Amino acid sequence: MTRSLLEVNQAFADMIEAAKASVVRVDAGGRGVGTGIIWHSDATRSEVVTNAHVVAGVTRRNSGGLRIVTADNRRFAAQLLAGDPQLDLALLGLAVGGLPTARIGDSARLRVGELVFAIGNPWGQTGVVTSGVISGLGSMAIRGTRRIAPYIRSDVLLAPGNSGGPLLNAAGAVIGVNAMIFGGDLSVAIPSHVVAEWIADNDRL
Amino acid sequence: MDINMLSAFSNQMADAVERIGKSLVMVNGRARQPATGIAYADELVLTADHVLERENNLTVQTYDNRVLGAQIAGRDASTDLAVLRVQGLGVPLATAAAEARVGQLALAVGRPSPDGVMASLGVVSKVGGSLRTGRSGATLERYIQTDAIPYPGFSGGALVDVAGAAFGLLTTGLVRGATIVIPMNVALKVAGALTEQGYVKRGYLGIVSQQVKLPPALRSDKQEYGLLIVRVEENSPAERGGLLIGDILLAVEGQPINDADDLMAALHGDRVGKPVSVRVSRGGIAQMLTVVVGQKS
Repeated sequence: MTRSLLEVNQAFADMIEAAKASVVRVDAGGRGVGTGIIWHSDATRSEVVTNAHVVAGVTRRNSGGLRIVTADNRRFAAQLLAGDPQLDLALLGLAVGGLPTARIGDSARLRVGELVFAIGNPWGQTGVVTSGVISGLGSMAIRGTRRIAPYIRSDVLLAPGNSGGPLLNAAGAVIGVNAMIFGGDLSVAIPSHVVAEWIADNDRL
Repeated sequence: MDINMLSAFSNQMADAVERIGKSLVMVNGRARQPATGIAYADELVLTADHVLERENNLTVQTYDNRVLGAQIAGRDASTDLAVLRVQGLGVPLATAAAEARVGQLALAVGRPSPDGVMASLGVVSKVGGSLRTGRSGATLERYIQTDAIPYPGFSGGALVDVAGAAFGLLTTGLVRGATIVIPMNVALKVAGALTEQGYVKRGYLGIVSQQVKLPPALRSDKQEYGLLIVRVEENSPAERGGLLIGDILLAVEGQPINDADDLMAALHGDRVGKPVSVRVSRGGIAQMLTVVVGQKS
C-alpha cells in the first residue's frame, strides 16, 4: 500500500470534521467548562455523556444553569440524569431531538500503538484536536467497591476542559471518554464499552 | 473519506508495537520501578546500565509472562549499557531498523510492568554525532533524540520505526533530563565487547590538550580547530609515537580532530593495540606520525 502522506492527512482532517458534529461544550453554570459527547438522540430528546467531575455540584433536582453548546453553536438547557463519581461518568438529558450522535467503537479490542484523537475544549477554546497513540491498557480498583474498571492510557495531550470529551480511533469512532490527566504526560480515558454498560445499568434502574 | 486507509495506517502502528513487544522483557533490577530490556541475540538481553541497581537476584519477565533469572554478562556505565544472559529466554529477537532520519515517525516502546507493553508516538527529532557521556570521557559515536514520551520504566526499551524495527535503545539515564536513543549498531558494538570481555575497551594516547584555532593555511571546510598538546605523559603511546608538547593534533586516520570529542571518537576500542596515523602541525608544518593506541585502564 503506497499512499502519499498528504492523502492520509486529508483523510484524517475529513474524519475529524465529521466527528466534531457530535462533540459539545458542557457549561456547568459558571462552575466550569468541560466537553461532552452526544451519545443518543431520538425525535424529541437527547443524551450527552461527560465526566462526573465536570458537573460536580449539579444534582438531579437542581440543574444549576447546566447548559450544552453544540458544535453548530446552539445552546440547550440540560438536566443531570445520572452520575457516578467513582467511574467519573455523568449522563445529561436534553429536551431536544435530532442531534448528530457519535459513532461508538468497540473498545473491548483495542491495541497498544493504535492512533487516537481527542476533541475537547481546553482552556476555554472550542473544538481543539490532539493526537497520539494508545500507550497502555490497564485496570484499576474502584474505591469503596469490589469493581475493577478497565482504562485506556494514551499520550494524547489533554488539558482542563478536555474532560468528558471523546477519544476517537482512526475510523472516527468513540472508543473512550477522556477523564484524567496525570502530569501532562499520561492521559486516561474510560473505555466506551464501560460507558455503554454503565448507561444500560442506569436504564434498568 | 477513506476510513479503511486510516484504520490500516493505525493497525500498522499497533502491529509495530506488537512485533517489538515480543522482543521486550521487563527487567527487575532495582527496588521500585522495573525497566525494560531488548532481546537481541540468543539468550542475550540489552538493557540500560543504570536500571541495574543490584548485581544479584535479577529477573526478567517475557511477553508470555515467564519470569526467568538473569545474570550480568557485562556492563558499561559510561554508555549506560548492560547485557544480561537469560537461560531459556526463547523470545523473538529484535531487528535493527535502517538508519534513522530526522522527521520519521517513531514509537517509544517499553515493558515497565506485567500489565503489558506500553507505547508513545513521536518523531526522530535529531540524529547527532559524537556525544560525550561524562565521567570517563567516553563518547557515543552517534545518538538519536525523539519527542516520544519516555514513561517511567522505558529505559532499556526501544525506539522503533513504523514496522517495529529498532532504531535503538532508549535511556533517560545518560543525559539528565533528556531521552537519548543509542543507535542499534552502536549499542550492538558495545554489547559485543561486553559479552566477550565484560567491559568496553577504550583507546588512549596519553596527552593533555586544549582546543586552538588553526592558522588559515591549515584550515579546511571540515576543520577550523585543532588540539594543542600541552602535556605528554611518560611512557605513553603518544610519547612512544613521537608526539611533542607544542604539536597541534590535526587528524587521526584521516578524520579531522576539531575537539576532544572528535579525538575520543577516533580512539574507539577497535583501535586499541593498533597503529594509527596521526597528523600534527609542528612549527606550522604538517607532519605524519604513527602511534600505537593504548588501552585506557
